[in-house]
Amino acid sequence: METMFHPGLASIVGIGELKTSLDIGGKSSLDLMAEAAALAIQDAGLLKNDVDGLLVTPPSEDSYFLWPSQVAEYLQLSPVFMNMVELGGASAAATIARAALLVDAGICKNCLCLSGGIWDKQVFNTLEGKMAVMSQAEIDYDLPYGPMGFNSSYALIARRHMYEYGTTPEQLAKITVDQRINAMANPDALFKKSITVPDVLASPLIVDPLHLLEIVRPCNGAAAVLVSRFSPSEYNNHPPVTIRGFGEAYTHNSIAYAPSLTESPIKMASSRAFQMAGVEVKDIDLVSLYDCYTITVLISLEDIGFCPKGEGGKFVENTDLTYTGALPCNTHGGQLSCGQASFAGGMSHVTEAVRQLRGEAGPRQVKKNCLAIVNGNGGVMSTQCCLILGRGKA
Amino acid sequence: MTDYQDTYWQYISSGKLCLQFCPACAQYIFYPRELCPNCLQSGLEWKEVTGKGLVYSYTIVHVSALPDFQEETPYIYALIELAERIRMPSNLINCSLDMIRVGLPVEVAFIERNGKTLPVFKPIQEVFETSNKPKNKEGAS
Repeated sequence: METMFHPGLASIVGIGELKTSLDIGGKSSLDLMAEAAALAIQDAGLLKNDVDGLLVTPPSEDSYFLWPSQVAEYLQLSPVFMNMVELGGASAAATIARAALLVDAGICKNCLCLSGGIWDKQVFNTLEGKMAVMSQAEIDYDLPYGPMGFNSSYALIARRHMYEYGTTPEQLAKITVDQRINAMANPDALFKKSITVPDVLASPLIVDPLHLLEIVRPCNGAAAVLVSRFSPSEYNNHPPVTIRGFGEAYTHNSIAYAPSLTESPIKMASSRAFQMAGVEVKDIDLVSLYDCYTITVLISLEDIGFCPKGEGGKFVENTDLTYTGALPCNTHGGQLSCGQASFAGGMSHVTEAVRQLRGEAGPRQVKKNCLAIVNGNGGVMSTQCCLILGRGKA
Repeated sequence: MTDYQDTYWQYISSGKLCLQFCPACAQYIFYPRELCPNCLQSGLEWKEVTGKGLVYSYTIVHVSALPDFQEETPYIYALIELAERIRMPSNLINCSLDMIRVGLPVEVAFIERNGKTLPVFKPIQEVFETSNKPKNKEGAS
């Protein structure tokens, strides 16, 4: 469908991201988010008062009530538009899509997309913590059978993909291994030890067929992105990065009630994003794909169209996904090597794509850096937001 | 508790697996609710179903944080597709970790857990059709 969106009119002018950590030393999500916001504003060469839009992802530990207002109060901002975006892991990418709309429509000049969270083991690994992220239907008709949160749901997907297409544990493990090579070139990665496919398969089986090293590690962190109207000069000496298009799609909440376990709404989301941007999958130079589990990356690659459905296993086996490879994927190491700082885990895919498109990724800089696709995935392949980002003017 | 939650569990307590059915759409609905998710009309009927299905997918949970399951690992957590084309999360009984596979024919059974009757599934020999056909029929499980 034709939209009134102008590809490339909105651009990313600033990014700020804290190094993820396992011990946060007595800080809150708000503290971390404020630090990241300051970094993004500084990166853009703007002043705090230039920020007139605020889109936040939900808090990990504080009350949801009036959350955007709580954040604006801490930052002493007085935005003309603010909102909270709750689409699980897709929230961060979705703030960028919404900011692009606000800037495109002339509602906001400089929209701050802000995400952060701390990890509280005491909450995360309890019945109460598990129930906090479940729907009433899941609590009533799923919880009595011992699901292990998202772990067991993604394991159902992986098992079904293996059954339908013969995908192997070795092929899934290759994704962790390639992303770890990327992480070894990222000083800010949480895990930087070299690993092999046998290492991944030797790590404990948590929810068969998924091993420990195929599952994200929850951690603490925050990230911020500033979206503004494209202007050839105002990028504080960074090459401009423009938002060419986005696409979203939703088909289910719980995987038990999804139309398919192995084909995700990413197919529709990415197709909409490509259409809006006027580009095709073959034009993409690098990918930043939400990687809560290895199987998520494999299905994303299939559904975006890098290989036919069902051939994701062979594709990752035969494709170098590192920053020197044929299809650089999650060049920061992804969440699988940087950890998942609550909702900010999804923002890391945006910030890394921006670094690469600017040519500021240092030792892990990819050679071809004109066009990137970013995907945010929430729930169990439930909520999807694809962004097409490009270097320079559209 | 809503009326439909209550009705579902009352049937379960009496050893019957009953699902809601929309006469207008001629389709079964799970999980229970007030309106048909297809036509958004009320008037859903309860029907007892065959309770037969196939294992659509499964995982063997090795690490669990849930109080009722911490001591039960490794255990099977499965998604069952009923003959009525409805998928339900569940557990399997009388099924060893060696027996479990995608496509395994199963039938409903009832167990008591924490003073509540729960529908679970047990392996059966019968062969029958659901939509559960692998695209690649030689697919490994």
